[in-house]
Amino acid sequence: MIQIKNLHKSYKMGSNSLHVLKGIDFSVEEGELVAIMGSSGSGKSTLLNILGMLDNPDSGDYVLDGVPIENLNETKAAQYRNKFLGFIFQSFNLINYKNAMENVALPLYYQKVGRKERQEKAVNYLSRVGLKDWATHLPSELSGGQKQRVAIARAMAAEPKVLLADEPTGALDSKTSYEVMELIQNINDEGNTILVVTHEPDIADMCKRIVHLKDGVIVEDKKVKQVRASEHV
Amino acid sequence: MFDRDIWVEIFNSIKNNKLRTFLTGFSVGWGIFILVLLLGSVNGMTNGFHSQFNDDATNSIFIRPGSTSIAYAGFEAERRIQLKNDDIEYIRKSFPDDFENISGRMFRRTTARYKSETGSYTVQAVHPDFQVIEKTIITKGRFVNTNDLVSGAKVAVIGRKVKEDLFKEEEALGKFVEFNGLPFRVIGIFTDDGDDNAERGILAPISTYQRIYSNTDDVDQIALTYNSSYDLTKALEFSGRLETILKRRHKVAPKDQGGIRIWNYAEAFSDISNFTGILDTGAIFVVMLLLTAGIVGIGNIMVFTVKERTKEIGVRKALGAKPIQIIKLVLLESVFITALSGFMGLFIASGILAVVGPLIEAPAFKNPSVDFSTILISTIILIIAGFFAGLLPAMKAAKIKPIVALNDK
Repeated sequence: MIQIKNLHKSYKMGSNSLHVLKGIDFSVEEGELVAIMGSSGSGKSTLLNILGMLDNPDSGDYVLDGVPIENLNETKAAQYRNKFLGFIFQSFNLINYKNAMENVALPLYYQKVGRKERQEKAVNYLSRVGLKDWATHLPSELSGGQKQRVAIARAMAAEPKVLLADEPTGALDSKTSYEVMELIQNINDEGNTILVVTHEPDIADMCKRIVHLKDGVIVEDKKVKQVRASEHV
Repeated sequence: MFDRDIWVEIFNSIKNNKLRTFLTGFSVGWGIFILVLLLGSVNGMTNGFHSQFNDDATNSIFIRPGSTSIAYAGFEAERRIQLKNDDIEYIRKSFPDDFENISGRMFRRTTARYKSETGSYTVQAVHPDFQVIEKTIITKGRFVNTNDLVSGAKVAVIGRKVKEDLFKEEEALGKFVEFNGLPFRVIGIFTDDGDDNAERGILAPISTYQRIYSNTDDVDQIALTYNSSYDLTKALEFSGRLETILKRRHKVAPKDQGGIRIWNYAEAFSDISNFTGILDTGAIFVVMLLLTAGIVGIGNIMVFTVKERTKEIGVRKALGAKPIQIIKLVLLESVFITALSGFMGLFIASGILAVVGPLIEAPAFKNPSVDFSTILISTIILIIAGFFAGLLPAMKAAKIKPIVALNDK
């Protein structure tokens, strides 16, 4: 599903240049649940940004679902993001004046799906994350866990090839974190490819594979025995 | 443009920032408000000026003889020039394409008497064409016609005030009224838009008066209207030719300002048009400055809005919003605020003009109003203004990297 070869990225910091990614080789098969771990400054967020087409690499190849991702202009990147990727953010990033259903429907709007169909699909995905009854509530009326579940429904609404989760549990207490991870595991069980960036080992253990980054290189890449989140709840 | 979702978002944005939207919109609304009031007032002045001249056809020329001021062709200065019937005939033959109506004028004071009522009036003896030149409105009966002129009939068209003075409530038409002892039959009654004074006049056939007064062919003045299809240049050129030829006929020095004076309405009107044109331009200029301030205000607010919504825009882009869709969102909001507040200014100002306008009673100010084209142009200006106000902030918004939505730790 994802193939990355010899990926380099550096940032200019004044006169100095900061080499963040120093040749990453990495691939993900369909249906995997991968945790990307590393301390801050390890380059894990930069890697996720590049995977999410939010940032361009200096060099290296990136192929997503057989499509080489290169020379993207803004419009093309937006199209690919909409078609291939679903984002889950640490701070949920729901739009505060839209209710849960409208938030979930937003990616479909950018796919030019009709209004009615959009709303049906949105309600459908909300019920899959167990929030059907909360469809008309504004984000401010939801708890943190509920917000993240709305965000997950939104990420899935466009039926992307890959879900990218950036510290999805970073703003949640441990109980709620496990509930969210349970949901992510369930979605993965249905065959969806998911990448989770985290620095929490217990969250990483709930994935099927852990990739360790340190100083811009992958220092460890191992398959692990998945810990089911339901055991913790 | 007619996408419901975009409008929902714009209304949300406005709803969440009511005060800010109002303050920004106010500056644009104020600009348009002043534009409409200024243009309406200029219009009122224009209408006022025009109504001042309303009692004469706007394409009329008056020829008035005087005394020469320069000795010329063997004549001394201070010679009185007298126009004759021949001059009228001469103009008729020489300028068949240039004039539309022509009439001589003679003015004689007269004491009019009907039964026991008497009054002193000025009789103006004219040709039938004079009705058009002076825009005389006949309310009853008829004007002097060619038959009266040929036969030298003792008939008179009297002003409304004259009728009231002499006949009171009695029917005047067909009755005989004595002018300096001579009986004249009343054939018509006229009113005049210009002023009440004109209605204290009496009109009679010029031939009749020339016969009564020593059987001359003297004419005091000549009035004519030029071809109404003529523009200012052609009208002035025509009155120039008239002047040259009449001065030659009466042996007046070409440079003499006194011998024959020609007064062309076109000139007066062009002066007024120039004046109101300058006022118009001035008003538009001032308002453009005001609107510019308004536009900068709206641009400022949009920059702020975009900054405030940076994260949201980043999320939208991460979810697949294309730059053009973000630009559309910001631009439409800007155009919407501008247009809405502009229209409010427009309607309030138009309303004030409509209510206050008729109450103003000043001779040089009449019916202040804005026409449809002004409203149309203002609307277009507003939409363009809103577009430009939103353009820079929109482009700024489109350049927001979705990465900022992620960098929130």
